[in-house]
Amino acid sequence: MNYQEVLKNAARSMVRFKNPHHLLRMIARFIAKEVHLTHASILLHDSVRNRYIFIDSKGELKIPVRLIRVDADHPLIRCLQGKCEVRILKKDVLSLRHLDDILNHFHTSPVSKLEVQKIIDLMKALKASLCVPSIYRGELLGVLILGTKRSGGDFTDEEISHFQTLAHDAAMTIKTAAYQMELLERNKQLEEQVTEITRLRKKEQETYYQIMLSLAEEVREKDDSTFGHLAAVEKLGVMTAEEMGMDLNGKKRDVLIAGLRLHDIGKIGIPDAILKKEDSLNQEEWVIMKQHAAKGAKILAPLADFKEVAEIVHCHHEFYDGKGYPRGLKGDQIPIESAIISVVDAFHAMVSERCYKKGYPLEFAIHELESNSGRQFHPKVVEAFMSVLKTKMLGYYEARMHEIHGNNAIHERKAS
Amino acid sequence: MVKLLVVDDEQEICDFLREFFEEKNFKVRTALSGEEALRYVAEEQPDVCLLDIKMPGEDGLEVLRKIKRKYPAVKVIMVTALEAAEKMEEAARMGADNYIIKPLSLEYLENDVYKKISGSS
Repeated sequence: MNYQEVLKNAARSMVRFKNPHHLLRMIARFIAKEVHLTHASILLHDSVRNRYIFIDSKGELKIPVRLIRVDADHPLIRCLQGKCEVRILKKDVLSLRHLDDILNHFHTSPVSKLEVQKIIDLMKALKASLCVPSIYRGELLGVLILGTKRSGGDFTDEEISHFQTLAHDAAMTIKTAAYQMELLERNKQLEEQVTEITRLRKKEQETYYQIMLSLAEEVREKDDSTFGHLAAVEKLGVMTAEEMGMDLNGKKRDVLIAGLRLHDIGKIGIPDAILKKEDSLNQEEWVIMKQHAAKGAKILAPLADFKEVAEIVHCHHEFYDGKGYPRGLKGDQIPIESAIISVVDAFHAMVSERCYKKGYPLEFAIHELESNSGRQFHPKVVEAFMSVLKTKMLGYYEARMHEIHGNNAIHERKAS
Repeated sequence: MVKLLVVDDEQEICDFLREFFEEKNFKVRTALSGEEALRYVAEEQPDVCLLDIKMPGEDGLEVLRKIKRKYPAVKVIMVTALEAAEKMEEAARMGADNYIIKPLSLEYLENDVYKKISGSS
């Protein structure tokens, strides 16, 4: 039998095993069958309890798996770890024959003799004639417990060296598998932590968003008494975006809606004296009033998920031709959502009734938007908005106009 | 000759412990179930009984109770896995003489059995 070849094959197939127990079972089976031993079993280090346990056994005498342990301070273990007083290892393995020789022929101290006797007792109980350590970087990971050759006779040096190769490769594989398990476990823990952090962050963002929404309502109430302004602006904005064929899947719809709802949040930082002033603002007051766009963006800055929303809010008073504020952006530099807000907000402000004025007539608002298309407003947005207004919303606004101005007013305007 | 009864539902464990104690000049009998164990105890009271606590059918505690009721002189050492160690209190109340936890050290096992014999003599 060609040991060399057989062992080489075994070593090669080891790398395929991810679970070290499977690998060790394979080794025990392999030794007992291919090398024709009475039996072979494996003691594996249990690092949690620092002891060695049989995890597999093959051959005539089976050692019951997991029934027996060998404590880490047993002389057999200490000896294989190189911690025994006397040198009783021969070529780094424990051989029963050699131990008998030591006991009978060499002069050793009584203490050592007792230890040697304990090792012999254990090996005999386990029907072992040879113990081969599996060592990785000085750590005894396991022990191959080998019976005798069925053909009788001692193991040759060559055979022992092959067992050592096998044990050494097994140790490497065990360690690699253990590292892999550890990595997998750590990965799992990390993933769980990330999920938890994401959840908390999302919750935090959600809470912040809710606070922002209440603030936005508050601002709107201070700013003008029109009920439902935000809801109307939101509805018109989304309809306009849809009319434009904008992609509103997933987050994009949320971003647009958040922008529509929160665009005036910055007014929270504007004094009531200016916000509620019924007369037109003087130049100084306008400077302060115009700050609300940038202030709104600043308020939204802590919402990491709402970076786009903050930018949209920042730009909702920019003009298509670049003459708006605060930064004088133009055309496509302005987010399309801001352009939509600009149109629907302007329209709604014009037609709404405020505490100090009645709303402008519908026709006036429409004329304002159309004549400012390409100047203050994005032409495509105006076009889409008009389409929405005429096909879907006109009835609603005419009814509102009717409420505000009375039947006559509408008929008068229509007649003129 | 000391008579030892090994009760475990796994044949391998019975075989191994039999070999181990026969080496040391015990007279060893094995039983794979509680019923079989009780039959042997009735026929020929052993000195020591190694009794696995977890067995299908009649479990170790039940067997212990029956042995101790009829043959209190038989020393019973319960064998248990760590997971069932809390049952040991109950076993002690029912008269178990000692218990050992799997996986067992052969040295301790031998010592425990010897201790029980010398205690009884």
